[in-house]
Amino acid sequence: MPAIIEIKNVTKEFRVLNRREGLKGSIKDLFSRNYKTVRAVDNISMTIEQGEIVGYLGPNGAGKSTTIKMMTGVLEPTSGEILTNGIIPYANRAKNAQEIGVVFGQRSQLWWALPLVESFRILKDIYQISDEKYDGMLELYKSLVDIEPLLHKPVRQMSLGQRTLSDILAAFLHDPKIVFLDEPTIGLDVSMKSKIRTLIQALNREKNTTVILTTHDMGDVDALCRRIVIIDKGKMLYDNDIEHLKSFFGSYRTLKIRTVGELASQAESIKKELPEFSVTADDEWISVLVDEERSKVIDVLGQLQKSHKIKDMQLEEISTEEVIKKIYEEGVV
Amino acid sequence: MKRNSLSFYLRIYFRILAQDIKSKMSYRADFIISTVGMIFTNIAGFVSFWILFRSFPSINGWGYYEMLFLYGFSLVALTPVQCLFDNNWSLRMAVYSGDFIKYCFRPINIFFYYQSEVFDIKGLGQLAFGIGTLIYSWTKIGLGFTPLILLKMIVFLVTASLFMIAMQNAAAATCFWIINSFYVLDLVTRFKDYAKYPITIFSPVFRFIFTFLMPIAFIAYYPSLVILRPGEVPLLSWLSPLIGAFFFWLSYRIWMHGALKYNGTGS
Amino acid sequence: MNLKKYVTLTKAGIIESLQFRLGTFVLAVGNILYLIVVYYLWKAIYASAGSETVNGMTFSDTLIYLVLATALFNFMEMYTVWEMGRSIQSGKIVLELLKPMKYRSYLFWTYSGQFVTNFFFTFLPTFIAVAVVTHGAVHMGLNLLFFVISVIMAISLNYSINFIVGTICVYTESIWGINIMKQVIVLLLSGATIPLAFFPEPLRTIAYYLPFQSIYNAPLSILLDAHPDPKELAATLGTQLLWCILTALISKLFWKVSLRRITVNGG
Repeated sequence: MPAIIEIKNVTKEFRVLNRREGLKGSIKDLFSRNYKTVRAVDNISMTIEQGEIVGYLGPNGAGKSTTIKMMTGVLEPTSGEILTNGIIPYANRAKNAQEIGVVFGQRSQLWWALPLVESFRILKDIYQISDEKYDGMLELYKSLVDIEPLLHKPVRQMSLGQRTLSDILAAFLHDPKIVFLDEPTIGLDVSMKSKIRTLIQALNREKNTTVILTTHDMGDVDALCRRIVIIDKGKMLYDNDIEHLKSFFGSYRTLKIRTVGELASQAESIKKELPEFSVTADDEWISVLVDEERSKVIDVLGQLQKSHKIKDMQLEEISTEEVIKKIYEEGVV
Repeated sequence: MKRNSLSFYLRIYFRILAQDIKSKMSYRADFIISTVGMIFTNIAGFVSFWILFRSFPSINGWGYYEMLFLYGFSLVALTPVQCLFDNNWSLRMAVYSGDFIKYCFRPINIFFYYQSEVFDIKGLGQLAFGIGTLIYSWTKIGLGFTPLILLKMIVFLVTASLFMIAMQNAAAATCFWIINSFYVLDLVTRFKDYAKYPITIFSPVFRFIFTFLMPIAFIAYYPSLVILRPGEVPLLSWLSPLIGAFFFWLSYRIWMHGALKYNGTGS
Repeated sequence: MNLKKYVTLTKAGIIESLQFRLGTFVLAVGNILYLIVVYYLWKAIYASAGSETVNGMTFSDTLIYLVLATALFNFMEMYTVWEMGRSIQSGKIVLELLKPMKYRSYLFWTYSGQFVTNFFFTFLPTFIAVAVVTHGAVHMGLNLLFFVISVIMAISLNYSINFIVGTICVYTESIWGINIMKQVIVLLLSGATIPLAFFPEPLRTIAYYLPFQSIYNAPLSILLDAHPDPKELAATLGTQLLWCILTALISKLFWKVSLRRITVNGG
């Protein structure tokens, strides 16, 4: 079966205006302009199969949105080939649009003043969804989330979580082959995030929709993606399973401890005592990342015991978050 | 329903338009104040007109009632651009903020989708003023009410409206390429004030400029001549429907060119 | 020293204005266009009037007046109402209130950069052009000094009026309607589009008693009057001063009351 998205050696360059500084510079700018070329995406290739959920990660400005825009047909690559659904997206924008759904975390695509169900009805007309398919989709939605109260609420009266949920439902409504989700859980509380992740998973399972997910939230990645693609400064850093990635860092262990004393200040002092280690803290645990090839956990524990009373301890693999952080900072081994 | 058929687009058009009207109605205070504002503008326009012309029997051979006819004609011709293409004013904000991108993801024509989102109800007030003025001056001039004249009126009013629509489209579209597009749009919109004078007041050079380069003369002058002075209709007047369609098509292409090249990061 | 922050704001404003390369050009084109239309329109009006002088003004009087009025308008016009309205509606106003300056003066000084640019790029060149072209029809003497004083008061007056109208946006969501009414009234009654001399009697007296004529008509008449009657001069300047102070007080008071509404309702 042909891949649903094929990207071959795609590069995208932009010409950006170089603004000069200060008062003198502004006057100079009045008379002459100079431009510089920025390479947002540099020779990227990837293949995505129908039904996959792919996590697309990278620091801000890495080139993620640029790639997504090329996949959705809104941007034309400077060089290279892209095929989405077997067609060239930017050359057949409208046709491509029929088979994709898009959600931008912060920007709603629904009609602000209308109740949700009215937005759905407009979309039904725009995408020419048959009555049966439409009803079927609504039934599916009802079985997955409590959509009834939402259907008759105008979008502008919804909370951020409800709006995001509605945008996702709207994106899947016409049963597209691919759905692009750009930071869908941004700004949401924990329970909402969980609801949305469950929804995305269920829809992917029911409809075999391919999902491309860009996110900074590792919880999203852990919950939804088996495969991740990491991009930085326009270049592809990694494209494979999460498990595979973690194996690169197989020697790393996360040592989680609870000590006597107030958590935050304990964490601070531990950070000072172990300057070469990555130390983080959340509400419950202080986590120390240990590379067993360089130091043994048992030694670190021993050192900590000298100045702290340890109440509780857990040993885990490296977290996805730490993996990604390391890749951003150091690249792939 | 076939994709890209007229009925498909018509149906969607009314659906999307309805949502804007419903939404506007819900902001009652704004609705009322804006309508009042519009009426104000029209009244002030009349007052200016009246102050200017009350002392003179005619200008350049155009009598008071003929000038009034031209005025009313231009008001009606300017209504379609006001009511149906009002979203052009928000174009640059949508483009800069990146919101415009959402129009590019739907499987329907971007220009159509964008323009159908807003309907400016207060433009109807202008329509009322325009029609009222037209009828008043019509009777005063004694033009008669035959079906032929009515048909000509409709055809040439539609023709006239195409020109302002075209100019405003093109002006709004500049936001895809330049940052201070607001000034361009503002400039072009002020053309409507100049449309109510017969271009015979201008020297030949400017007559040329206002006919072929910035077609202000076509917003009211040329089309209305067909009805006002049926004995001496210049060729340009008869050609104006074709020229209008051409300008509209041109502005559409410019607009779409910008929209298709748009990539979500502002210009 | 307090002065520094005003200077910094002005400088920032100048840099911003200079970046409006195309915007400046377009504005200039717009003005030239307007003046062309005005020139030919009044030429036609005077041609059909049958006499050199109408309402005490000759053709060149009227033209000089209108050209300078346009230059003055471009110099003084601020989009204060829009800025304020949007700031209030979006809630951004709360951030601005946190700055260590009174909002009213903060807003004014952010515009001051534009004043400086506008003065050098539009008003001054126009003035010089007019003086040269008309071979000194504009008297250059003490009236220039009084003109400058008058303009300073006019700016303050214009700003206060704008600020008052902008404050109304705290109470209603309708920015456009309010702004357009203000604009229409000011343009008509200040003598900026039609010299007040042309107004028919009851209207003219009313206009003289309103503050609007102090914005454009007053400074212009001072500038163009080669032999001013000292009593009249004092009256004009005095009226301006009066309105200046009055509107400043009203705007401060109105703002203070409205501020409470913002802080209570949270923007």
